[in-house]
Amino acid sequence: MSADPQQRRYRPSNFVDFVIVGCGASGSVLARELSQNGFSVVALEQGPWLDRSQFTHDEYRNVAQSLLTNNPQKQPMTFRKTPNDKATVQPALMYGRLVGGGTVHFTANFWRFHEIDFIEASKKGTIAGTAFADWPITYADLEPYYTKAEWELGVSGQAGASPFDPPRSKPYPLPPMPVKSSGVLFEQAALKLGYHPFPAPVAVISKPYKGRIACAHCGFCETFGCEMGAKSSPLPNIVPQAIGTGRCEIRPHSYVTAIKTDSQGRATGVAYFDQSGAHQMQRARAVVVAANGAETPRLLLLSNSNRFPDGLANSSGMVGKHLMFNTGAMAGGLFDHPLNEYKSIQATRVMHDFYELDPKLGFYGGGGLDARFQLTPISFAQMGLPSTQPQWGSDYKKALQKYFTHTMCIMGHGTSLPLADNSITLDPTLKDAWGQPAMRVTYKDHPDDVKTSQFFLDRSMELLEAAGAQDKWVIYPAEEQNFAVHLLGTCRMGNDPKSSVINSDHRTHDVPNLFLCDGSSFVTSGRGQPTETIQTLAFRASDRITTLAKKGEI
Amino acid sequence: MTTRRTFLTQAAASLGVVYLGGLTPEILAQAHQHAKSAPLNLDGQLFRFFSKQQAADYEAFAEQIFPTDETPGAKEANVVHFVDFALSEIEPQNKSDFAKALVALNEQAKKTAPAAASFAALTSMQQVDIMKAIEKTGDFGVLKFYTIAGFFCDPADGGNKDKIGWKLINFPDDFYYAPPFGYYDAQAAKEKA
Repeated sequence: MSADPQQRRYRPSNFVDFVIVGCGASGSVLARELSQNGFSVVALEQGPWLDRSQFTHDEYRNVAQSLLTNNPQKQPMTFRKTPNDKATVQPALMYGRLVGGGTVHFTANFWRFHEIDFIEASKKGTIAGTAFADWPITYADLEPYYTKAEWELGVSGQAGASPFDPPRSKPYPLPPMPVKSSGVLFEQAALKLGYHPFPAPVAVISKPYKGRIACAHCGFCETFGCEMGAKSSPLPNIVPQAIGTGRCEIRPHSYVTAIKTDSQGRATGVAYFDQSGAHQMQRARAVVVAANGAETPRLLLLSNSNRFPDGLANSSGMVGKHLMFNTGAMAGGLFDHPLNEYKSIQATRVMHDFYELDPKLGFYGGGGLDARFQLTPISFAQMGLPSTQPQWGSDYKKALQKYFTHTMCIMGHGTSLPLADNSITLDPTLKDAWGQPAMRVTYKDHPDDVKTSQFFLDRSMELLEAAGAQDKWVIYPAEEQNFAVHLLGTCRMGNDPKSSVINSDHRTHDVPNLFLCDGSSFVTSGRGQPTETIQTLAFRASDRITTLAKKGEI
Repeated sequence: MTTRRTFLTQAAASLGVVYLGGLTPEILAQAHQHAKSAPLNLDGQLFRFFSKQQAADYEAFAEQIFPTDETPGAKEANVVHFVDFALSEIEPQNKSDFAKALVALNEQAKKTAPAAASFAALTSMQQVDIMKAIEKTGDFGVLKFYTIAGFFCDPADGGNKDKIGWKLINFPDDFYYAPPFGYYDAQAAKEKA
């Protein structure tokens, strides 16, 4: 089962220029850019390579069978709040596990970071007990690549609509998606309260674009793959363009277990299990790991050796540390007339008035709010109703009937502080289906993050009130999290090899021909929508790596 | 009766160019076919997971979650067959949790009505009392989750028969819409015009 067109094939024993581990949000961008720049590339993806005709709206199966995501049966993991707690087996993280990665099933919110996100520690001061720091690159360094990402992938939005937007060199390539009832109510309420709502920038095409058809408003973005190809994951164009170079091979069902190094400490390739379970070694002149903020540090830790006893590229001890989830509390509101929020994309209006919280509040934080609805029928029946409503019986049926079409949500998307204890490590005993040490997740939100989340939940309730909701309630409370989909910060970028894992070229400080580029590269968490920045980093990293390779410096 | 195909053709004709673009009825019909296809052939007779008694107890439970009243309930939606399929084919790893939850249900039944042969054999009022006694437990949560999944799943998975669940909440499975989507955006569009 794979979208396996006629593509260039390499033998694992042949040295290619680059082997890329992970063909998701960033890996597929790197594969296209590096192959277009003339290099031979093999991209190994642990999941399948699905064609859009294989995506379904089957809510139960998508979730129960982990059709698009990591499988808790094959890839169990453990979770604990602090290093002093005993870790228990539980699915603490979910990530995209197929060609295209998490962008296949994501909500498609596509927010740029703002200038402040890269320089916040020096502007506001460091925070005791945290590793809050500036990035070694700025918004200005990334701006051309944000623009490139938006135009290459296909993003709908309205430039200049938010007074808080950072400068941009080009507008969005596509106009905003049509506003939904949730967006109209949110906008009216936000204006009433003196805020500045604007059309949500989304990686979904509102009009035909580069040979792709426009969104048909089916309503099944979050959790589902887009059978129209209107969601701007790499599947509709980045992946075919990579293959089209004739220099790139994407190899699905390839589960990488180690990066191999030689006596000089240089990477020589990666070991992996192929679909048949046979052990293979893909040789390469350089290795790029783009396996996400959890699997990338895990792979480095799995790649320990006599020379690198604490894991590869880990002389700093920072690999796996500073895991950040973002926060996301959400409230629901019931309205008099039908909203029919099951239609179209999940979010059509956003506000960034609280991108930076007032320091007078006494805690650090910031974020954005969006009007949304992502509760498809099973999840709505499971968690959508207020607790004041009956949860089973005839009155439960009536409540579902009344609420489903008349409910909208407002969600806050907030910062997470980088903490050394919040981490990805190897579980000392648990193994995955391939016999490899499972990942152990340690995570406890900083108190400021929980306060920030509560701040946004309070604003959500006020907005629902101002919008005229006849009932409003909390769906996701602001509390310490034990489950996440945003996986950030675990191999942070920095100039100092003692406190970071990669430099601003995404090259590891310790291994000259090993590069890392995904959510793990983040120094700070941003405001809850990391994907555009992950892909933007991949476009920039491709340029940096190409320059180094062409100068013979890898 | 309007077939999906004719609906799409009409929709395509009436929508014009703005949001339709290159979306042809053929492409849509194809996408729908893919989106809705799922292999399943339930014989509806033999249970693969449930014993007869377990099926009866569970169906009685599911009927209390979604009773048959003015609108069809769990029984009509074929929830019990969905669960049998789901636990046999999709999530066999959850069989023991589900079976344990049924045991817990019957243990509570014995406490409330010591003479009862099984949960299914009790009166509706007794069943409600038993469920209220355990409604905060994980066992209740397991049984309720599968009941919800069976009531609102894609009918291809064996539950939500005749789209009973979707019809209850006014969820049409057209998967193809054009603005205005709801009352408030329609009003806003009118005011703008």
